[in-house]
Amino acid sequence: MLTVRRWWGRRGLQVGLIVLTLSIAWGLRQSEGGVIYELYRWLTLPFQSEQDVRSIALENASLRELQGRLLELESQNQRLRQLLDYSSEQTEGIVAPVIGRSADHWWQQIILGRGRNDGVAVGDVVSGTGGLVGRVTHVTPNTSRVLLITDPTSQVGVTISRTRMMGVLRGQAGNRAVMQFFEKEPNVRPGDTIATSPISQLFPAGIPIGQVESVDFRKSPAPEAVIELSSPIGYLEWVIVSKNTTPQSEPIESETAE
Amino acid sequence: MATFFDPFLWSPSLRRSLNWGITVFSVLACLLTMPTRIPGMELLGVGPNWMLIWVVVWSVNRTAWEGAIAGIVLGFIQDAMTAPNPSHAVSLAVVGILTARLRKQRYIQEDFISVALIVFGMAVISETVVALQFTLGSLTNPTESYPTLGEIWLFHQQIALCSAILSSLWAPVVYYPLQRWWNLMETVEQAQLS
Repeated sequence: MLTVRRWWGRRGLQVGLIVLTLSIAWGLRQSEGGVIYELYRWLTLPFQSEQDVRSIALENASLRELQGRLLELESQNQRLRQLLDYSSEQTEGIVAPVIGRSADHWWQQIILGRGRNDGVAVGDVVSGTGGLVGRVTHVTPNTSRVLLITDPTSQVGVTISRTRMMGVLRGQAGNRAVMQFFEKEPNVRPGDTIATSPISQLFPAGIPIGQVESVDFRKSPAPEAVIELSSPIGYLEWVIVSKNTTPQSEPIESETAE
Repeated sequence: MATFFDPFLWSPSLRRSLNWGITVFSVLACLLTMPTRIPGMELLGVGPNWMLIWVVVWSVNRTAWEGAIAGIVLGFIQDAMTAPNPSHAVSLAVVGILTARLRKQRYIQEDFISVALIVFGMAVISETVVALQFTLGSLTNPTESYPTLGEIWLFHQQIALCSAILSSLWAPVVYYPLQRWWNLMETVEQAQLS
C-alpha cells in the first residue's frame, strides 16, 4: 500500500496528464475532428477568394453556346420525362470553396468551406466544372469533408452514355479511375463518355464523370476501362454541392453500388 | 518586464505551463498544416507527413513509452481528421517507439541532418505499417470496399517515397525551434534544481 502511495505521489501528475491527453485525443477522434476543421476554416478565411469563379468561367463564348444547347436539351428532356411520369427533382446547388485537401495520403478527400449552417448534409453530391467530384461524408457547422471519386474505397455505379453498358468505377488516386464492366464483352471504345448509372445507390443518375481513355478486354475477371475524369480533381478551387435525391443515399458505410 | 524575458527567473509553474503551451501549440500548428497544399510542399499530390515529423522530433530525446503515447495521441487526432479505419495510432506509435529506441549515440549525432535521416526511415516504416493494416483489412473483410492488394502496394510505393522525401526535407522546420525550446527548458530546470 505504501509503495503504491509513494509511486502515486511521484508519478500521479504524469499519469493524470497522460490520461487527460489520451482522452482529449480520443474525444477528438469520436467527434470526427469538427473542432480542428472549424479552426482551420477560420484561419484560412483571409486566403479564400470571395469572387465567384463560376462567373469568370462563363465568359467563354463557346461555353455559352454549349450552355444554351444544354438548356434546350434539358427542357426537352424535362418534357419527355413528364410524358413518361419519370420523377427526378433538380435542386439548386450550393457553391462552396475548397479550403483544404486530405490530411493523409491514403485517403482522397477535400475540405469545403461550407457546412451545416449553409445547408450541406451528409450524402450530398459534389460536382465541379466538368462533372462529378465526390460525396459529402462529414459535416461540421461551417466545413464539410468530401470523399472524392478518385479514392480507392469509393465505388460508383456508372454507365457508358452511348451504349448503356454498366459497370463500377473505382478510384486510382490521381486524375484516373478504372471502370470494371459487368459484361464479358462490353460495347465500348476509347472516347466514349461515362455518367452515373440509374442503379447507383449513392448518386443520382446521369451526372457526367469522364471519358474512356483505353480499354483492356483481356482483364480478368471482367474487362476494364481506364477513365479520364473530366473535372480537374487535382486542382479544384470551387465545387457545387447539391442535395442527393436518391432514396438509398443514407447508408454511408456500404459504399458499393451494385 | 525583464523577468519575463529571462527564462531563468520564471517560476516553476509558469515554466511548466509555458512548456506545455508551446508543445500543444506546435502540435496544433502541425495539425492545421496537414490539409494545406502550399506550392513546393507537394510531390505527385503527396505532402509532408507533419504528424510523423512531430512524433519523431518528440521521441528523439525521450523514452519509448513517451514516444508511444505521443504516437497514439497524434494518431487518434489524425483519425479524427481523415478516416478512423484503419487507425493511424498504430503506425505513429511504432514510429515513436522505434525513434526512442534508436541507438543514436552510437550511429548518429543529434543535429538536424540526422533527424532528417531518421524521419526518412520512419516515413517509410509508418507507410508500410499502414499498408499492412490495409492488407489485413482487405483480407479479413472481403465484402467491405477496401482497395485490392495490388493497388495497396502500388500506392504504398508512391506514398512512401514521396512522403519520405518531403517529410525529411521539412523536418528541420519542426525540429530546430522545438528542440531549442526543450533544451532551454531542461537547462533552466537543472539550474533551478541545483
